[in-house]
Amino acid sequence: MGDDQADEDAREETADRGRPDRTTVRDTYDRIAAHFASTREYAWPEVETFVDDVADGSHTVGLDLGCGNCRHAELLADAGLETVVGVDVSRGLLETGRERARDRSFAVELCQGDAATLPLADDSVDLAVYVATLHHLPSAGARRASLDELARVLAPDGRGLVSAWSTAHDRFEDADEGFDTTVEWTLPGGEPVDRFYHIYAPDEFERDLEASDLELLEWELSSGNCYARVAGSR
Amino acid sequence: MKESLLEILRCPLDKHELELEDAEYADGDEVVDGTLVCAECGERYPVDDGIPNLLPPDMREETPA
Repeated sequence: MGDDQADEDAREETADRGRPDRTTVRDTYDRIAAHFASTREYAWPEVETFVDDVADGSHTVGLDLGCGNCRHAELLADAGLETVVGVDVSRGLLETGRERARDRSFAVELCQGDAATLPLADDSVDLAVYVATLHHLPSAGARRASLDELARVLAPDGRGLVSAWSTAHDRFEDADEGFDTTVEWTLPGGEPVDRFYHIYAPDEFERDLEASDLELLEWELSSGNCYARVAGSR
Repeated sequence: MKESLLEILRCPLDKHELELEDAEYADGDEVVDGTLVCAECGERYPVDDGIPNLLPPDMREETPA
């Protein structure tokens, strides 16, 4: 019982520290942008597989939501989409995306925006990746709103991939429910910067996707992340 | 941003179309500066050094120094 209480106190402390507003999340990534991007060189294999599976000549507009340094926008551009839009809350990260696009000669249209209030037209996107971003939105309401927003902008015949960090990751083996936490980012000088995460329990991830306006086609666990393949709302 | 991106960009608040004002261009249709104005609610969004800032107004204030 004593241990349980201690755990609960620790969890609450983590939760209190870890619930910033969305502007705070933006500021965090503005601060760490350059160093963060330099460690995010390669596209994730699960995203490569998704783009390989679904991209065909019928897709013209791609969206990398939470694009960061645009490593996944680059995949979409290389898959032959006519227009690729990279949206991120952090201007600092968008600058790293612009630099990568320049260095590697791919075209991406950058836009600063919020995943829970997307600045895009209904049914305007054919192919979307929303990778490792959902878990940074600091409230359950904002996370659900972002899934509904993705459903709104994704064409009914469009396809999307949504990923989030999950309790299935080795690092969280003691957790059986989803929870809020902060994960430290250490800048080159040694300065720590806290980043908010909501770690999803896999069944919670499935439930949120099912409850959203997205059509959940299939989902899986891979490398401690939940991945869902989705279609837009009809 | 390319001016043609306006076909799919919308006001984040009410999802209405945006009109480009005071545009400065480079390379033909590349908008490097200007303001995007919602045709419905009138909210104004800056295009700064080629990147439109379409954060909702409550998330748009400058980072404190």
